[in-house]
Order: sequence, then C-alpha cells, then structure tokens
Amino acid sequence: MSPRPTTGHVRRPAILKAAAEVIAERGVIGTRIADVAERADTSAPGVLYWFATKDELLTEALAFADDHFYAELRDELARLDGARARLSRIVDLWPAEGDGEAVLWMELWVRALRDPQVAAARERLDGRWREAIAGVVREGQASGEFLPVDPDDFALMLGALMDGFAIQLALHDPAVTPERVREHCMALVEERLGMEGVPDAI
Amino acid sequence: MSAQRTRERILDAAVERIASDGIDAVRIARIAMDARVSTALVHYHFATREALLAEALEHSFETAGAVSEQPGDPATRLRSMVEQCLPLPGEQERDWVLWVELWLRAVRHPELRPTAAKLYARMHDWFREAIEEGDFGPVDAGAIADHTLALIDGFGVRALLGDPAMPLERAREEVWHALAGDLGLHSGALSS
Repeated sequence: MSPRPTTGHVRRPAILKAAAEVIAERGVIGTRIADVAERADTSAPGVLYWFATKDELLTEALAFADDHFYAELRDELARLDGARARLSRIVDLWPAEGDGEAVLWMELWVRALRDPQVAAARERLDGRWREAIAGVVREGQASGEFLPVDPDDFALMLGALMDGFAIQLALHDPAVTPERVREHCMALVEERLGMEGVPDAI
Repeated sequence: MSAQRTRERILDAAVERIASDGIDAVRIARIAMDARVSTALVHYHFATREALLAEALEHSFETAGAVSEQPGDPATRLRSMVEQCLPLPGEQERDWVLWVELWLRAVRHPELRPTAAKLYARMHDWFREAIEEGDFGPVDAGAIADHTLALIDGFGVRALLGDPAMPLERAREEVWHALAGDLGLHSGALSS
C-alpha cells in the first residue's frame, strides 16, 4: 500500500477553485497538474491524491462551481416575489460574454465528444440546471402565474436557447448582444408560459 | 495531379482526422499519411493548428453547401434547412464535431473568431433570405434567423453528445416547432 500523501492541510475545495481558474484560462489541454497545485498552494501529488485525471478535475471543478452557483441562486430567488421575476433572474444569471464558466462548458462539450464519463458528468450538470428552471415553472403554475405546460419540456427549450446564444456571445458575434439574448429568452417565457394572450413579438 | 486537387485531398483527410482525434490531439504526420502526401507539404498548406481547423471547417461547409438547396414550398424548404443543420449521422455529425471544436478554439484563440463569425453570418443569411423569400408576412427575418440558429446549436450539441433527454428526432421537432411558431405557421399541419 502506498503511503498517503501529506494532504491533511489542503482542502479539496481549494484545489477545485484553483482548477476552475486555471482550466478557464488555459484549457484542459494547456493545464498541467503542477499549475493547479501551484495555484492551490500544494504539491502535484496533493492534487493527484484527490483527482486522478485532468478530465476528472474539469468535471469536479464544474460541479463545485455549480454548488456555489445554486447556493447563491437559491438565496437570490428567495428574495424575489413571483415566479416570473425569478425566471427573469435565472436568465440574467446565465453565463454571459467573457464569463469563465462559459469556456468551461465548452471544454466539457469537447471532452464529452470522446469520453463517455465526461459525457455522463455533463448530463448530470445539465439535468441539474434544467431542474432549477423547471422548479421555478412549477412554482409559477402552482401560484397560477404560468400556463400548465410540461415544466421539463419548457426547461429543455429555455436551456437549449440560452446555451445556443451563450456560444455566440462567447465568440463575440457582433450581431448578438446580451440585451438581445435576454429579449429572446423572455419572449420564450411569455410565449410558452404567459397567461396574457398574445405574446410580444421578438 | 493538380495542386488544387492535392490541397483538397489534404483537406478531406484533415476533416476526418480532426473529427476523430480532436484538433488538440491531431497529428500532421497522420493527415499526411491519410492524404498520401509528405508532411512538409501539409505544413506548407497549414502553418498552425488554427489555420488547419479554419480551413478544414470552411472546406467541409463548402462541400455541404453544394448539395444543400432543394426546391419546394417555403415552409418545406426551411424544414429541410433545419434538417441539414442538425448532427445527422454521417457527414453532418462529423461537421458538428468540428463545429464544437471551433467554438472552444475560437474562444481561446481570437484569430479564429473571424472564421466562426463568417460561418455564422453565412448560416444567418441563408435562413434570413429563405424567410424573406417565403413571404410569411410582417416578420423580423433577422431575429427569427438568430433564434433558429441558437436553438439549432443548443439542441444540436445535446443530440450530438447523445443526451437521452434530446434524441435527434426530438431536436428536429423542437427547432421546427419554434421556427414555425415564429413564422406564424401551424407546425403540426406541416409535419411530414
């Protein structure tokens, strides 16, 4: 049995935070375990004790960033009144132009193309995001704010639309601005969930 | 053999190799072997990985463009365009892999962004013109094209990755349903 590295002083979260930063800056391919170790103020064996591969670091770092995101989201949404306002806030919070997290998602997609384990991790993260959207839709339906459409179908639609636009924002497509993206997303909310007859034209 | 045909053979090989290995892992020597030319000749045509990816994508899009137009009524034509943009098995799936590689690479390497912008602009104009020519009444063709492309990417990437929540057939129906709604059509009546 190999000796356990002296990692007692290192917190796993510190490594994950460092990994998210370094991978967002340099990409999975350009990231060395030693870079993450340096950022987290530990040694390479200290990182490898927790994470065997760079792909594992990527998926765990995203899950870790996600935990933070959802904790904040829960607090933010709790302060808002009404499901429509909450859904609007979810649209605002989605990674926008220049956001490090949008790059991490693209890294995840590229790695998922050729690695079933990464693909499975991506599905879990995506499912969690869709569940957050569907949860707000259910609240709105219970309170009578939204039409009784299938919440999971709607979450799939809004999630796909936001991702599609996030790509164009990340590529700095001059034709697509965060304001336009917001308008498109909220038009979908009104069109599919709105109780007030004719939806606004996009 | 003409220089043009040699170049095309290198590009064909590059497209296949990038799709199977990924742009980061692809080896120039392997592309040369597949294309039955010297490594030096491949290096002569592509100075960097970014140039290789950009050229391979443009090449693959040009080839796709040649067979893309189909006659028919405007709604059928648009439905067929959506179909041609999704990761169907075969060439379209292969092009999609390159497309996803391009997103990441272009975010990291700004010199690739003009290639991405050009391909997006081409797709945008293709949809916008088809909508305008379709005479669907007072619709904002540009906004509908943006909306449709975002949905194609958002649904397409999930279908490409084999997400059980988004099989290809469902991606096709969701995108068409949304587009038909934007155009003021009843999508059910136009399903084939």
